[in-house]
Amino acid sequence: MSAAEGEKVEKNSTLRSPRMLLALLVAVAIVVAALLVVLSQLGGSGEGVGELYSGVPQEGTTLGEDGAPVTVYLYEDFQCPYCGQFSREMFPRLVDDYVRDGSARLVSENLVFLGPDSVVAARAALSAGEQNRYWPYYSLLYENQGAENSGYVTDDFLRGLAEKTPDLDVGRWEDQRAGNSFTRELEDSQSRAQASGVDSTPTLIFEGPGGQAKIDRLTGYDQISSAMDKVDGS
Amino acid sequence: MQGKEGRSAPRTVLLVLAVLGFLVSAYLTWTHFAGLAPICTGGGEGCETVQSSRYAVLLGVPVALLGLIAYSGLIISAALWGQAGIYLGFLISLVGTLFSAYLTYLEIFVIGALCQWCLASAAIMPAALICTTLAVRPLMQER
Repeated sequence: MSAAEGEKVEKNSTLRSPRMLLALLVAVAIVVAALLVVLSQLGGSGEGVGELYSGVPQEGTTLGEDGAPVTVYLYEDFQCPYCGQFSREMFPRLVDDYVRDGSARLVSENLVFLGPDSVVAARAALSAGEQNRYWPYYSLLYENQGAENSGYVTDDFLRGLAEKTPDLDVGRWEDQRAGNSFTRELEDSQSRAQASGVDSTPTLIFEGPGGQAKIDRLTGYDQISSAMDKVDGS
Repeated sequence: MQGKEGRSAPRTVLLVLAVLGFLVSAYLTWTHFAGLAPICTGGGEGCETVQSSRYAVLLGVPVALLGLIAYSGLIISAALWGQAGIYLGFLISLVGTLFSAYLTYLEIFVIGALCQWCLASAAIMPAALICTTLAVRPLMQER
């Protein structure tokens, strides 16, 4: 075969492939992009919520065993974006590492300084707390958090979360929400925040046999581990 | 295949775009892992709101890191620039453009805040797609 014939054969073999290859690449790109979109939409369904809290005692806004040596106070606002980030990315690990084994218990302190919707969201969560289902509702609120003061905290939104909250009697939750403004609870949290010098969210205050630690600029989970090491007294 | 005049301009532009996109993604990835708020030019908290939203992380992986990987791929594509390099660049820039369009939709209609860094990336990706499409076209016509 001459060099010219060889080149022709080589070209013929790829002649049909470029367009096929291009079509294949376009198809692959669409599938990959669609997959990324689907993965991005995951979360917020509450599927992992039951598992996270399984076997962990809940009472009102407290999570964990009463006799836990360390108490962690979480000062948050349901509309605060960084509280949402903490709740989604670090909180489950905090529960798994320290709460589940009884090393620590968590107390949620609701601050509602960002706007009226913060109050509405906090009341909805506290209503779930009346059935000791505060924490799954807390997780769902953060998993589905919208933009600050954008008006996303509607009755339908809150009821939708209540329906996704495992073991929550939605009828009773509605009654609690309608009948209790939780003003005292919210004012108490505000007073405790002022007494502890909390002026931003999220702020975590750790109290244990080894003393106290405060994280008001949370940048990584290692800060939580260090604070636990400091206050657990071991 | 390499060094053909018709493909050198898209290659250069792609390389510049990929490096710019890489820098933007690297900055956003760094702020994510350092727990810092990205600086939003012109003030406002749009970047902070977008970057701390639930859509900023995909299966535990920051979207900014995905961008960093994609732009690294485009830099490799521009460096190779043979058939394989061009097809690789076309694939990455097409996926990137589609996903960027979705992310921009989220910013406007779901999150309700705009992040200028993300918008910059959303503009770079379609521009990169134009470059790779210009480079793919001659490959289709080689008969």
